Amino acid sequence: MKVAHVTAIARKQFLTLKHDRRSLALMLFAPVMAMLIFGFAFGNSPKHIPVIIVNQDKGGSATKLVDKIDHDTLQLTSSSDADWARQQVRDGKAVGAVIFGPDFTAESSPSVSVRLVAGKPVAVPQPPKGAHAQVYLDTTNQQLSAVVIPSLASATLKLAQDQGAKSPIAFDLSYAFSKAKDARYIDYFVPGIMAFAVMLFTTLLTLLAFVSERTSGTLNRLRVSPATEAEVVLGYELAFGLIAAVQGFLVLAVAIWVYHILVLGPLWVAALLVVLTAVTAQAIGILVSAAAQREGQAIQFIPFIIFPVFLLSGIFVPVASLPGWLRPFCYLIPPTWSIDALRDVMLRGWGVDRVWLNVTILAVFTVVFTLLAIAGLKRRNA
Amino acid sequence: MEPEASQAVVFRDVTKTFNKTFRALDGLTFSIKRGELYGLIGPNGAGKTTSIRVMTGLVSAGGGQVSVLGLQPNDPAVRSHVGYMPQETALYLDLTVRENLELFGRLYDMDKKYLKARIKELLEFVNLTDWADKVITELSGGMQHRASLAAALLPKPKLLILDEPTVGVDPELRATFWDRFRSMQAEGTTILITTHYMDEAMRCERVGLVNHGRLIAEDAPAELIRKTGTKSLEDAFLKLAGRKEVAK
Repeated sequence: MKVAHVTAIARKQFLTLKHDRRSLALMLFAPVMAMLIFGFAFGNSPKHIPVIIVNQDKGGSATKLVDKIDHDTLQLTSSSDADWARQQVRDGKAVGAVIFGPDFTAESSPSVSVRLVAGKPVAVPQPPKGAHAQVYLDTTNQQLSAVVIPSLASATLKLAQDQGAKSPIAFDLSYAFSKAKDARYIDYFVPGIMAFAVMLFTTLLTLLAFVSERTSGTLNRLRVSPATEAEVVLGYELAFGLIAAVQGFLVLAVAIWVYHILVLGPLWVAALLVVLTAVTAQAIGILVSAAAQREGQAIQFIPFIIFPVFLLSGIFVPVASLPGWLRPFCYLIPPTWSIDALRDVMLRGWGVDRVWLNVTILAVFTVVFTLLAIAGLKRRNA
Repeated sequence: MEPEASQAVVFRDVTKTFNKTFRALDGLTFSIKRGELYGLIGPNGAGKTTSIRVMTGLVSAGGGQVSVLGLQPNDPAVRSHVGYMPQETALYLDLTVRENLELFGRLYDMDKKYLKARIKELLEFVNLTDWADKVITELSGGMQHRASLAAALLPKPKLLILDEPTVGVDPELRATFWDRFRSMQAEGTTILITTHYMDEAMRCERVGLVNHGRLIAEDAPAELIRKTGTKSLEDAFLKLAGRKEVAK
């Protein structure tokens, strides 16, 4: 094994990218673009959901509660006609209608009753009867309707806190990760989509680059030269590893500046996880290239790379929530480990001392796929 | 067959079958002496390129014995001494001519200063000095072929394997190429050429006529013509191939 040969191959790859700016742009900016598109498409909680408030309350509790509702999430309009509001929901003009009855304040407040004790009248506090607001919901769009009740619950909670927990319902909350108490779905989503984007584009570009090496005859020329298969693969890994490091910081920068996502742990550990994902991905690309005779065939492999990673690596659905029989397959997908660790680092603030197992497993994946790629390179030409 | 030590390449009863059905080499036997300029001649599908792929270690032989410079073809020690020019351009299309040559120079462990001088010399030889810093895709087919030849000559190999080296090269440059091959041979380089051009085959010291993965004749071109009583090497080949067919 000669380092000079490995660096010569890596240098060649950089020179290729210098001349082929389109591929360079694809490598560096496509993951960013994918992150932006997926992030904006999936990562944001639904907003501006139209809801009609029918406030018939004779007291002020309903108004106070409505004031506590997040007006960015629910787009509130007021009406005094409950039947009209329900019709609006049936017509699809609003997702829900919330109707506060005339006794809402009275029923949600504690009262005082007077009793005679030893012949004297004594005031005895009584607990609230319990107030009810009617919620009339269109559940045909689960994504939107599912947001309405939590928004109302959140407003109720805020009102209760303002009243010093004198409301009929009070929640005492504490947080396991206090810095992440305001974590949003996007904070959870971005680490997943980051690993996915890096995995997809690195695998794809390595696959195409290697198929091109085979079809153009350059791989044969390399194999006739004193460079060994291992040196060729490691040269590629060196080049793609360095590019992945830049790629990793770039996607992290976008995640931080565009999505303002939480990064509570060390940034370098997050970048290391991205680099390991990329190096594994490029070894998979080389391995898969052995089965493709030309670029057209290589393209056919893309769905087999995209769908398992997209659906089984925990980007959307936690692996633990998947059926038991499917979980072992999830753990065979390298991004499952990187996404899990990226979330630990970014949301929980864990360092390498807590995610070492994931880093080790990714490193093992890298070594195994590298060895398979080298073996595949030899076998394909035998 | 002469003693192994004096042979650059030895093929003995070599077989190679692809996809379990296509027998590309069917007991091919020939040898190339050290310092010889040898031509492997035959129609498309005769087994010429497969022979070269076996010789360079790109594919392993299915049976028989192969030795290159006294070693197994896939022995790493052989690689530093073999120059190979495949039929296709086989250069990185997105790199310049110079960058391609620098890459292969590094892989052949050439000293930086020497490599620079060697590249300058080869660019002059293949008449690409003015095109050195152009990417390969900007070059014409003939120019790409010349750049490919420069890459093969780069390590000053003991054995130079040229698969159809003059396809797409104009007659003037072909003559220049052949002058270079001759001078390299004079310096002790063993050269194996496959070609379709019979006039080029005539320039070889010896030729091996291959058909259906077998050697059907091997001798100096003039001697083959004399033995077959024909007027050209092409006629000699056709006559020999025809006889073989009949014999089968």
